[in-house]
Amino acid sequence: MRSVSVIGIGETRMGRFPERSLRDLILEAGGKAIDDAGIGREDIKALFMSNFNAQFLCGQGHIGPLASEVLSLGTIPAIRVEGACASGSLAFRQALIAVASGLYDVVLVGGVEKMTHQATETVTAGIASASDVELEAGLGATFPSIFAMIANRYFHEHGNVRDEMAMCAVQNHENALLNPDAQLQKRITVDQVRNGAPIASPLTIFDCSLVSDGAAFVVLAATDVAKAVSQKRIVEVVGCGQAGDTLTIASKRSLTTFDATVNAARQAYAMAGIKPSAVNFAEVHDCFTITQIINIEDLGFFEKGRGALAVAQGKTAADGVLPINVSGGLKAKGHPIGATGLSQIYEVVTQLRGEGGARQLGNAEIGLTHNIGGTAATCVVSIFRGR
Amino acid sequence: MSRRGTIYTYSIIHSGTDSFKDKTPYVVALVEEDRRIRLARVEGYTEETQVNIGMEVEYLAADERDNPIFRFIEDQ
Repeated sequence: MRSVSVIGIGETRMGRFPERSLRDLILEAGGKAIDDAGIGREDIKALFMSNFNAQFLCGQGHIGPLASEVLSLGTIPAIRVEGACASGSLAFRQALIAVASGLYDVVLVGGVEKMTHQATETVTAGIASASDVELEAGLGATFPSIFAMIANRYFHEHGNVRDEMAMCAVQNHENALLNPDAQLQKRITVDQVRNGAPIASPLTIFDCSLVSDGAAFVVLAATDVAKAVSQKRIVEVVGCGQAGDTLTIASKRSLTTFDATVNAARQAYAMAGIKPSAVNFAEVHDCFTITQIINIEDLGFFEKGRGALAVAQGKTAADGVLPINVSGGLKAKGHPIGATGLSQIYEVVTQLRGEGGARQLGNAEIGLTHNIGGTAATCVVSIFRGR
Repeated sequence: MSRRGTIYTYSIIHSGTDSFKDKTPYVVALVEEDRRIRLARVEGYTEETQVNIGMEVEYLAADERDNPIFRFIEDQ
């Protein structure tokens, strides 16, 4: 397998855009990524598109050719990849494998989702389809309630981390203040999170990630090709792992360790030849605040049961030893489901290039993305290094 | 002795999908019975109900998909 690098990135602002179509979001983000790469459309040999739920929320399927037409990519192969909230990084991984194998030199990966035009009950039903519709949604379990059950079990096993969960939301909102692409730019407090509208106990509305519209794109090239064409710092994909787990919460080995994360991370670290301690910063999947705490443990950054303390000590804040979700994360930057995994990569590449502006981190040589789908039933972990 | 299970974890749902929004607030739980853990709905929740991990709940019925429905035991 040959080395692969990111040579172009582009995204829309995340937010509520009832007047914007899927086409419009794709056109903006895809166009930006191709321009950023400094390549011609004829150089792109395949398109990998991520989308979770447009068939349900927008009545639109066949997203591959839709995006290919919008971006004037001609007759190249276009494919849609779906893995719930991990769809974006799944598409990225498929594109990575296609370039690493030697099949293509340059490919485009994109993700798009349009959600905010639907009523909350409809969006809730759509997201519930990432769980088991018969055994879980059919019984009345919502997606937030599944992670709420995980939170209550975590409290039982490792102690009550209600305040530290709230701190994750507070930190992510703080970070989003400096990100012009973030959906919410609003400072919040621990008390606001605790006393927010109840969704599924112990989670309030402020523990839940956002419902968003948006798109994000990445151009991947064989590193040899990247060196010849790219005018920017080359960002090499040094590690990538994927693992799965059972779909339903009741069949998990553990509710407080996500095996899919542990296994995907192990693969990614081995491929990169690094230990977790070598990672300078990470974008992790904070679909709910409890998830952020579990993730930073499962990724090997902190011991199991100690993640919440690290958050309370400020270690994961933007000025901490290991900044987590400096983009604002799913909580405040936004969570346009099919685009999310690519939006995480957008942030990591931005930081590694030193293009983060007001939110640029001082030490950004190795960055990691972590993206899960459903009840951590799908996970992709990727590691990037500036060259 | 009625058929009983033990709550492994739970959540009180305040925001449901269209099909369940009339039931809010209601409780879903992982219930352990004979070392087998299944997702269940637990009926009879009121604001006075103190839900805890480890508490016993009584089997009520299966829904149309054969998912278990339990209920809170009042004298606990």
